[in-house]
Amino acid sequence: MNNDHITNQIRRLRFNHGEMTQQQLADKVGVTRQTIIAIEAGKYAPSLPLAFRIARAFNASVEDVFQYEGHDDIPADPAERT
Amino acid sequence: MNREQKRALAIVIGMSLAFVLCVAAFVIHRLADASPKPLLILASVALGTGVIVSFRFKPDEGAVTSDERDKLITKNANLAGFGAVYLFIILASFAPIGILGEKASIPVTSLPFLLVGAGLCQAFAFFVAILVQYGRRGQG
Repeated sequence: MNNDHITNQIRRLRFNHGEMTQQQLADKVGVTRQTIIAIEAGKYAPSLPLAFRIARAFNASVEDVFQYEGHDDIPADPAERT
Repeated sequence: MNREQKRALAIVIGMSLAFVLCVAAFVIHRLADASPKPLLILASVALGTGVIVSFRFKPDEGAVTSDERDKLITKNANLAGFGAVYLFIILASFAPIGILGEKASIPVTSLPFLLVGAGLCQAFAFFVAILVQYGRRGQG
């Protein structure tokens, strides 16, 4: 079972950027407002290109916008995985 | 609600009404030996109205009307539709044996109706899957 979870700071970033509306962000990154709502609520994990476009809309890095809260049982060092 | 949701809702309501009317027609025909024609005509009207209404929704406003999430939802809905067709075929293959018995026979002219049934089953599962994936309030 996949227990990975991705949280995000989109709502906070929108308000820090002149109270940007969901529709404005959606138009900026080329998606519908429904998708922004779903991403903000954590109900939809965006694709990598969309995550980059959202981060770019806030002049931030992807890590500043999205946080991965999954299992860390895979070693970061590839040598340790074997 | 976006246009796809409105379309799906109209078709699901139309198909559900049509299904209920068809079941009522079958029951009336079997139990009361009355003509099922009026109810079948009503069922056709319900289904047709749902389909016609679904084409009358205006396109969504805004610069973008469809994105990667909508494509994913449509893809999953297609999978649900094909799954439903498999279930329908399994049911349609075994139900006559269970209902009529092993020695019974059915007219071969009834077989093309399986295609119609499979198509309706696929469409119903497709549109229900669309509604379920978008969520109850249309924002999920």
